[in-house]
This record gives sequence, C-alpha cells and structure tokens, in this order.
Amino acid sequence: MIKGYAGRILEIDLGARRHSYRPLHEETARLYIGGKGYGTRLLYDMTEPGIDPLGPDNPLIFATGPLNGSVAPQSNRFAVVTKSPLTGGIGNATCGGSFAYAMKRAGIDLIVVKGRSADPVRIEVEGDGDEVRFIDARDLWGKGTYETQAKLDKKMKHAVIGPAGENRVRYAGIVSDERIAGRSGVGAVMGSKNLKAVSVHGSRKLEMDDADAFKEYTKEVREIFKEHPVLGSSLKRFGTASIVNTTNGRNIIPTHNFKYGHFDDAMKVSGEYMEDHELVGVKSSCIHCPVTCGRDVELEGIGRVKGPEYETVALLGTNLEIGDLKRVSEWNYHADDLGMDTISLGGTLSFAMELQERGMLEVGVSFGDPAGVTELIQDIGHRRGLGNELAEGSKRMSEKYGGKDFAMHVKGMELSAYDPRGSYAQGVEYATTNRGGCHVQGASMYMESVGPLTINPQNLKLKADIPVVQQNLACAINSMVLCIFSTYGMIPKAIHDMSPNSFQYKLIAKIFENLGPLLRLGMSVKGRPMIWWEKWLTYITGQPMSSGHLQEIGARIFNLERMYNLREGLSAADDTLPARILNEPTFPGMKSGHPLGELLPRYYKNRGWDANGVPTAKTLDRLKVQV
Amino acid sequence: MAVRVQLTYDMGKELGESLIEIEGARFVKDVVRLTRERFASGSGSFDTLSRVTAIALNGVLINYRKGMKTPVADGDTVAFVKAAAGG
Repeated sequence: MIKGYAGRILEIDLGARRHSYRPLHEETARLYIGGKGYGTRLLYDMTEPGIDPLGPDNPLIFATGPLNGSVAPQSNRFAVVTKSPLTGGIGNATCGGSFAYAMKRAGIDLIVVKGRSADPVRIEVEGDGDEVRFIDARDLWGKGTYETQAKLDKKMKHAVIGPAGENRVRYAGIVSDERIAGRSGVGAVMGSKNLKAVSVHGSRKLEMDDADAFKEYTKEVREIFKEHPVLGSSLKRFGTASIVNTTNGRNIIPTHNFKYGHFDDAMKVSGEYMEDHELVGVKSSCIHCPVTCGRDVELEGIGRVKGPEYETVALLGTNLEIGDLKRVSEWNYHADDLGMDTISLGGTLSFAMELQERGMLEVGVSFGDPAGVTELIQDIGHRRGLGNELAEGSKRMSEKYGGKDFAMHVKGMELSAYDPRGSYAQGVEYATTNRGGCHVQGASMYMESVGPLTINPQNLKLKADIPVVQQNLACAINSMVLCIFSTYGMIPKAIHDMSPNSFQYKLIAKIFENLGPLLRLGMSVKGRPMIWWEKWLTYITGQPMSSGHLQEIGARIFNLERMYNLREGLSAADDTLPARILNEPTFPGMKSGHPLGELLPRYYKNRGWDANGVPTAKTLDRLKVQV
Repeated sequence: MAVRVQLTYDMGKELGESLIEIEGARFVKDVVRLTRERFASGSGSFDTLSRVTAIALNGVLINYRKGMKTPVADGDTVAFVKAAAGG
C-alpha cells in the first residue's frame, strides 16, 4: 500500500447492523488521492442512477486523505460524499476539527455507511478499528449537536447530526467539534439513515515515505505561516469575517437577497468589530492548525460559543440587512446546534423575506428586522409550520410559491457571499461547480476581486480560465484533505506588502490579467513539488506531486463529478446563475448583469467539453475517467 | 449631497466613524486629499493607514478607470479596501 494511507475501508450496513473491511484500492488512490476524489469514485461505482438521495440506497461516505493523521498545518479535514438531497446531483462537504485525525489513527481511510437503521442508532469504532459497535441512540434523538457531543465518550471524536438532520432539512449538515460539513444536505442523508453519530478512536501512527523530510519541512512551513499576512495575521487576528469590509467596499457583499452589493452597517458584523466588541477568545478548532481562524463569543443565557464565520455574517447579517453581531452570533449558534448550513439557511430566509415584501407569502419576517428570525430558524430545524417549507430550500420554495427570478441558488444550492456581478470568474465557478452555488470549490474570487493580487473582475479576460485551474486545485485539496484556506497562502508576502496603487503592482496585475491560456498551461507543468501541499504529499506518499500532477488529478475528479451529475439528469441548462444576477445591474453604468452567456462556451472549451457541456470521449480518455 | 467615503476599520477607529461624507470633490484625488485632512499626523495618520489599501469607486477599483483622475459625483461611494481572505 502507498504510504500515507491506512489501507482499508470500513463498510457499515445499518439495516443488518453488520460491518466489514475491504482494502483500499491502490490504483484508485493514485488516480483520485482520497477524500472527495476517492469518495466520488466510490459513489459513482456503487450506486444505480436515479436513487432517492434520502433512501437507503444512497451511501454516506466519510473520506480522509493521505495528509490526514499528520501534523501538517490545516491538514485535518474529512470529506463527506453522497447524493445531494438539495440538488439531486453530487453532494459533498468537508469539515475541520479532529475527526479525520481520529479516523486515520483508527486505521481507516473511508467509512461507507449503507442502508437504513429501523431505529435511531449510533456507531462507535474503537480498538484501532477492530471494535465496531452499533448503539441505540433513541436517548440522543432530538438533541442538539452540542449536547449530543457532550454526552458521548470524551476520548473519542465524533461526527453528529442535530434535529435538522433528523428532520431531513435539505441543507442539514454534519457537525464535528464546533465545525460543520455544511453544504449539500449531507446531514439530511445521515438523518434519513437514522444515524445520530459516528465516533472513532485509535492509536495507530501514520506511516510516511520520508518522515524526516516531512518533519523538517513542516517546521519551515510553520514559519512561513507565521509571517504570512493572511494565514499568520488577518485570519489569525480577525477570523474569516475580516473580509467583510473588503467585499462591502467592492460592492459584492450580498444585501437584501442579493438585490444590492453594499450594506452601510456591514462594518458592525466584520471580524475587526468582532475583535473589538464581542470576542472572548480565539482558538484553533482544527487539530494541528496554527491559523486559529475560529472565534469565541459570549451569548447571554447560552455562554461561550463559536462565533460566526464570514459566510454567516454575510448571509444572516448583511443579506437580511441586520448589522447586529450579537443577533447573527445567536442565529449562528442555533443553526450549529440544529446542524444546519448557514449559507443555505441565510439564502432561504432572504428569499422568504422577499416573498413577504412582494406580498407573495406571509412569512412573518422582514429585512432589517430581527423579530421572529430565531423562532423561524428553530421551526426550520424541526420542520414546524412554515419552517417546513423553508426546510426545502429556496429552489423548491420558488417552484411552489413563485419568485424563481430571485431565488438565489445554482442547481438548488444557495449562493455563498460573493456577488458575481462584481466577480465574473466567481460567477462562472458558481454556475459550473458540480455541487452547486458554492465558493470553496475553487475560490476564484480570491484571484480576481478580494485577494492581494486582483485583476479587473468585470471584463472577460481570464474569467473562463481562473475557474478551471481553481476548481481543479480545490478538487485536489479536498481530496488530501486539506483546508482550502491553505491556498490563500499561495501569493507571497511581497505581493501583499505592495501598494495596489503602485506602478509595480499595476504592472504585475496587468501581466496576470493578460496571461490567457498561459495560466492553465503554466499550472499544468509536471515539474518539481513547489508549494507545501505538493511537498507534503510527496514526502508522505512517495509519489512525486507538482502543480501539474494536481491539476490533472483535480480535473479527473471534476469530470467524474460532472459525469455523475449528467447521469443523474442534470445538464448544461443547470450551469446557470439566478435571473437576478444575469439581468439586474448593481454597478453604475452596468447595462445588465453577469455575462455568463459569453463566458460559458469558453469555459466548456477550456474544459474539453462539447457545446452541451458534456466531456468529450477524448477528454475522459486523457484524464483516465472511466464511466 | 456629497461623496460618501467608506473607510477601513482602522481608519474608522481613528476618526470615530467609518462612513464619512466629503463635500466639494470633483475627482478621486480630491476625495483622498479631503479625507487625509480629517486625520491627524503620526502613527494613526491617513498615509500610514492607507498604505496597502486600494480605492474603489462604487465598488470598482479606480485602477480600472482613470486612477486618481476618475471623476466623482454626488451620491457616489468611495471605499478604501484592503486585500482579504475569508470563506
């Protein structure tokens, strides 16, 4: 077996309450790494087309990769792969904490959960994976994610659902520590199986090809992180919400259900404001991570809890026109405890508020007014009253109540907090990302509109190229499984230190913007490992990994996901953006919205797909994607 | 009417307000000059705090317009923005 892997997959049959192990397939690990990649390959191969995402035939796959179990910073996330009940296509999400680390210590690469238990059940895996127990979980059913974890064995690490997962809210997530695999409705799939928690514990050591080189190099990387303006400073000091004032200044922070891109009170939900007014602690919720982007806030009557991330302060704050960090923190706590994705929750709430504003549905909540929101969030998590409707997400609500033009989703998944009208590459990424309207499957906005070296985000240059390389990279990152924030360190400190108004900066940005196909070509060179994740993979697995290798593997994973979506009935018609984004300008002088119609054919061509968005036989053959 | 100026958080802390209004500016350079005048000299000076910020007019960086010579009109928003990462 290649080093860096435990070498086995734990298969759980919930209906029969049986378990078995099978060996990890070495060639699949070479082709897809692990995590999301390996999980997607398994999902594709083991399921028939057209299965019900909430039925027993849909497997729930917990997947680690070769970096998990090591002490490399930001390297302990796990992926969850399944068919999404939100989109009907590929579903996946990753989660930090320490569950991935514990899985590898237990000697397990992937856990594949099949079938459905007749009654609520939880699973414990101990004894380095040799003891697998099915335990009655009726006593935990109905309890929140915080209480559930508190009641479980302290020495084990857990992945649990809350009431939202139990009630199959289509955007329910799986919670581990204070982190959540939020997107795609993976928690609803877990709930559909009557599976409350998976707990693991073990003591195996990760075997590496060159442990000494790994150790020495990791020391160097920790120093790089310390000095880096994002990883060692802004994320560390202010958390992810440090980006609020930037997206607000760039007119791309969702406001009033994406009707606008600027909110006057945005500053009051920013990371800097949090530090000055609400913060009671900074911590790293993820094992071995020095970035410590996690925040702690104090809530009256509840106590010290995890503070909200950027996506949450935007989707539940500015998007609802609430400039009150205490309120947003409270809603964030409830969503986490219920086990719900705050992005889809915020997008669905803002959609409901607009329905009310237009007189299309009485929902009892309004933009700019926090009254009733807490109660509605609880009702969603428990599928009570109108909450039962919002639990379906904005796409299904718009099909029932109208408002398709302002239902802010792609493929059924609500958009995250970067308005693509001011970030064209991000718009292409939203439209084409296989799991739907999400930003962490590429994070193109970092390369064009918010990062340290930005280009003009409102012309067509590179806008069909950046998403390709970024999506490929993210597929590889999510298969290692590394935190996507690690990619924010790609741009060196020297660029950060430049004034954006300086001649040198403008020159570099201009050269970057005019790279054209050279960007993809340059990234595809199979040379020496350069950046830390390439070196770590090389030291751990013994397989040489460079940008070119990872672009190829990432493209393979992305195309397999695409083939899965096509198999499940999605098509090029689903590669679109909400009508509001396509048609309504938000910048002065802008005649229309996002120019997706001009960019999509270029993107398809860059991907090696035909005009209908189908990967050609030549592309699949080149990437060794077997379907 | 006036031009609205969205300051960075640190600038806002220095001035005691994060959104200010500037009267009588015709170009971005006038907005920058009139904003600078609101700040005292020293460690919290405008030049120190704005060193690595870009300037956006109604959300669009002035680098993609006419730079400091980009005209402004009443009701416009000029923002000082830092590079950032979130997610």
